[in-house]
Amino acid sequence: MTLTEGPTQTPTPPAARQPSLFDRLTGRGRAPKTDHAVVVLHDVTKRYPNGKEALKDVDLVVPEGDFVFLVGPSGAGKSTLMKLLIRDELATQGDVVIDGYDLARIKRRQVPRIRRKIGIVFQDFKLLPRKSVWENVAFALEVTGTPRRQIRPAVDRVLALVGLTAQADQVPTQLSGGEQQRTAIARALVHDPRIIIADEPTGNLDPVISWEIIQLLLRINELGVTILMATHQAEVVTALRKRVVALEDGRIIRDETGATYHRED
Amino acid sequence: MIAFVLFSMGRAWQGFWRNALMSLAATLTMVLMLLLLAGFFILQNVLLASLSFVEQKVEVVAYIENTATQDQVDKLAARVDAMPETASVEFISRDEALRRFREAQQAQGRPDLTTSLEANPLYASLNVKLTAPTDYQVVAEALQADPIVRPHGVINIQALVERVTTVTGLVRTAGLVMVAVVGLIVLFIIVNTIRLAVVARAEEIEIMRLVGASDAFIRWPFVFEGAFVGLAGALVTLGLLAVAADPLSTAMVGFFNVLPLQLGTLGRDTAVIVLATGLGLGVLGSWVSVRTYLIR
Repeated sequence: MTLTEGPTQTPTPPAARQPSLFDRLTGRGRAPKTDHAVVVLHDVTKRYPNGKEALKDVDLVVPEGDFVFLVGPSGAGKSTLMKLLIRDELATQGDVVIDGYDLARIKRRQVPRIRRKIGIVFQDFKLLPRKSVWENVAFALEVTGTPRRQIRPAVDRVLALVGLTAQADQVPTQLSGGEQQRTAIARALVHDPRIIIADEPTGNLDPVISWEIIQLLLRINELGVTILMATHQAEVVTALRKRVVALEDGRIIRDETGATYHRED
Repeated sequence: MIAFVLFSMGRAWQGFWRNALMSLAATLTMVLMLLLLAGFFILQNVLLASLSFVEQKVEVVAYIENTATQDQVDKLAARVDAMPETASVEFISRDEALRRFREAQQAQGRPDLTTSLEANPLYASLNVKLTAPTDYQVVAEALQADPIVRPHGVINIQALVERVTTVTGLVRTAGLVMVAVVGLIVLFIIVNTIRLAVVARAEEIEIMRLVGASDAFIRWPFVFEGAFVGLAGALVTLGLLAVAADPLSTAMVGFFNVLPLQLGTLGRDTAVIVLATGLGLGVLGSWVSVRTYLIR
């Protein structure tokens, strides 16, 4: 896999976290864009209608180009956090700011535009079984109204990036798990997103294939795309020494750079 | 805009054939429901035609003095005919009245005793058919006021009118309720069937949402697909009805014998209703079903 055909963004160095950042971001439209952070959560609480508090007072700033592991037991709030980021749910309290847009304040019509800045990858791939690899990736562009002549080069480019050019005409059932996940990653990338959110992307894959997927995500990260990956695989997290955000009971209990899966005491 | 419509239609067409079994099931349900609806609609119209036929049987009869001249009778007939309550006026001469009496006796198998009479004992009459039986009073008074009409020569038909209108009114309401109930059943079943077809593709919609498709791009292909199903169902239904129309109307004319049914406009009305219901419910069904999956 070579990266010569990838997007030519240069990774921005992670910005130092300054206390004034919140103030600037929550300046309510006066400074709607920031070059420093793509994801900002400020004092976020999510209470579901049944009264369950999935997230409590969560503060999180992810600078552009960061690679963040989101760890924690099931039910700790990882899924809720991801739903808030794509505005599938709205925060009960606090601000969620994506690429400078306060999700609670944008109009409904703008939601699809925000979602195109975010590529999502799931544990179960979520591919359309009757479409080929190429069509699955192209689907993301078709349904967002991309002109036909722009679709072909864009799809070909991301398929080359994830190394699936040869499998373009196969349907998902003919592919291995790793290839299916790479198709899903290609689909997530085709909109040229600022952020990739991966929810247990290696959960259904064996260790060797898992590493392949992680390698691919790391390479995408090197191209400047911010990556937020929820995972249970301790060895991956520990080996990579990236930033680790640990959730438990809806609270962030640990946020360390260059950390391991478990707390090092 | 045109590109968007083309895209939506293309996706709808694709969606229809990629889930051929589901789509065919939905179309078939649509056909059955539309047949049911059309059947009840036609039945309701036959019923209404029968009712107005019965109501037309109610006539105001005025007996004429034997001294009246043909000229006087014609003038009265013309005057009554000009009234808005009147549908038609028929003059029955004394000879005609006798002839009808004899015919009626013969039809009932009774011996004809009128031959032993010295003279025709019957009076001539004006038989007035009404546009609505409840208007009989106005016509009756106008007739009675004329000097050539015999004293008490207008038969009081109040009791008859009341009975007829009570029955016809009841049957009309019952027919309307029936069509409304069938209409509701058809509505729910069709909307539900379309909903199933949409739910079967929930994952596709979910993916569309997640990759940032706007509401319009998610909704319209499904709405067009619903319209396809509705249109296909309506056309099949109309085809079946067209095939069945000839033997059916023959049977109906044979069965009801004298009914002056206007099959021309009924056929057109049925076609309009079937098409509108099919298309309308197809569109409505998908619109409502997709709604659930759109941005909250």
